[in-house]
Amino acid sequence: MTERVWHRLSPRMLLVHPVHEVLRQIPLLVGAVVVGSATGNSWWTVAIVALTIAFGVLRWFTTTYRIETDEVQLRTGVLQRKVVSLPRNRIRSVQTDARLLHQLLGLTVLRVSTGQQVRGDTEFALDAVRVEEVPRLRSILLADSLAAADQAEAQAPGRQLARWQLSWLRYSPLSFTGLAMILAAVGVTYQAGLGAILEHSRLAESGRDAAQRFGVVASVAVFGVVVVLASVGLSVLRSLVTFGNLTLRRDAEVLHLQHGLLRKREHTFDMRRLRGGTLRQPLLVRLLGGARLDAVMTGVAGAGEASLLLPPCPVRTAESVLTDLIADVNTVSGPVRGHGPAATRRRWTRGLVFPVVVAAGLVLAAAFVAVPPWAWIAVAALALTCALLAADRVRALGHRVDDRWLVARAGSLERRRDCIAAEGIIGWTVRQTFFQRRAGVATLIAATAAGVKHYQVIDVPAELSWSIAGTASPWVADSEWARS
Amino acid sequence: MSQRAAVTLVDPANPPSRKAPLVWAIGAAIPWLVLAVGQVVWFAVVDDRLAWAHVTAAAVTVVGMAVFVIVVPLWRYRVHRWDISPQAVYTRSGWLVQERRIAPISRVQTVDTYRGPLDRLFGLANVTVTTASSAGAVRIVALDSAVADRVVGQLTDIAAIGAEDAT
Repeated sequence: MTERVWHRLSPRMLLVHPVHEVLRQIPLLVGAVVVGSATGNSWWTVAIVALTIAFGVLRWFTTTYRIETDEVQLRTGVLQRKVVSLPRNRIRSVQTDARLLHQLLGLTVLRVSTGQQVRGDTEFALDAVRVEEVPRLRSILLADSLAAADQAEAQAPGRQLARWQLSWLRYSPLSFTGLAMILAAVGVTYQAGLGAILEHSRLAESGRDAAQRFGVVASVAVFGVVVVLASVGLSVLRSLVTFGNLTLRRDAEVLHLQHGLLRKREHTFDMRRLRGGTLRQPLLVRLLGGARLDAVMTGVAGAGEASLLLPPCPVRTAESVLTDLIADVNTVSGPVRGHGPAATRRRWTRGLVFPVVVAAGLVLAAAFVAVPPWAWIAVAALALTCALLAADRVRALGHRVDDRWLVARAGSLERRRDCIAAEGIIGWTVRQTFFQRRAGVATLIAATAAGVKHYQVIDVPAELSWSIAGTASPWVADSEWARS
Repeated sequence: MSQRAAVTLVDPANPPSRKAPLVWAIGAAIPWLVLAVGQVVWFAVVDDRLAWAHVTAAAVTVVGMAVFVIVVPLWRYRVHRWDISPQAVYTRSGWLVQERRIAPISRVQTVDTYRGPLDRLFGLANVTVTTASSAGAVRIVALDSAVADRVVGQLTDIAAIGAEDAT
């Protein structure tokens, strides 16, 4: 389908743009109000507000897009004109994103991604179009990918792979997002100079009174409990708002991911670009039997929100979804081959070096000054923690390979199982540090165009490394340097 | 698991240019010489008290120079190897951390050469073979210019045959 005319965005944006413009220019408007009240001439304020709103309205008139046979173009800018052109065969995925105001007006922002890193200005985003128009635009933009899918869809409607459940919230209190939000809020408060005001407020006064009455230790404990509770609450709330009503649907060769309560987001992935998946299990999520799932795709950033398929959810859900996507049960949940005694030894040495150094320092210090008994207990606790982590890392380490998939599992605090399609691997590196050479192990790195671009198999026995590469990539085993 | 019979890869055959250690040594010597001049200025012009500080600094510089100007270039020369077959590029590089890297030529996207000022002075060139993965670039460093030109010609000839998407 081709359209030669320039289109405008939804006229409803005439309402949204001015509001966004006013929000964006708040500092300027505050200045205008101050000037207005100082000079006693409120026309200043009115003029600046009117100008800002006019600017917002102009945005709608100056933004046009068109879809041609081989490329799409977007013209924007009131004062600075800008044209973004994208070849249509480079379009890898289409995402939509609707904030609250957009949703109220039935609008959504449509983003086209080519897989290259784009910074703000050069991004192709239609802000915004009517929700009803999205399926039509998407099918035009993704014409290549969807042509096949449409036929298949006629036969079998899309299958739902996963749906968000309230019980998934049990994994979210264990993340640090809440704490990060609190710290950010405190930072902003102090940056804005409100810290000084707070220090003299009645809240702070009563806090100091309470501290004097109940003693410092009790106050600190209460404060700690309050912070932890607040951070747990915020984490859960954020998780609910971001991922509530998440659905993951598969229509033949296209994957639809939809999530968000207040801000609705929808990603469309082209399954032909899928090169595997990563099951990630942060320690605390793993203890509760959870996992999260990232897609490994060409044209989609490897880390962060862009590649997320499932937020922390029961590990069985994550595994069954990944199994459905890559159609190989053993790759997803089969046993992995351990890396042997040398790798185990290296995990233990690494884990225990730090506590041993601390303990040695403490012994040295004890020779000169009196060391309080709690210091010894702390060192013992540290050593125990490190030992447990080392043991867990040993248990995690492993790989699995056949002629279709490479699986690498590692880590304790952030355990991950990378499942990478062998045909997507376009280069192999065997890296050995000085100590790895002495221990007879090597780190094998598979380079791909997808996901985070390089996937490591840590500390495999050196003599095995090229066998693994050769099993996954026949061109390695068949190369003229190969000897069996 | 359907693992094939054990495979090992022999090292690639070709060493870099014979002038490579010299160029690496000069490249490493320049910053160290700047540092040494700085120390002489510090001793002669600024302040010649604190004898122990001068001695320590001089010792560090001498040891650093010996390691990075003599040992490391020779070590790297012993490690660095490269080879090209009609199917793949294969290199070995590094000194303390050593890497062997192989990439199929059918997936090559660009072949670049780079000549720094020192390389030009000594007639050397570095060839970088990039693939669609940012982690998969293969670098063949410190080749004689003539060899580098031949390598680039050979690689572009072979790579032009495969016309896939290369991802």
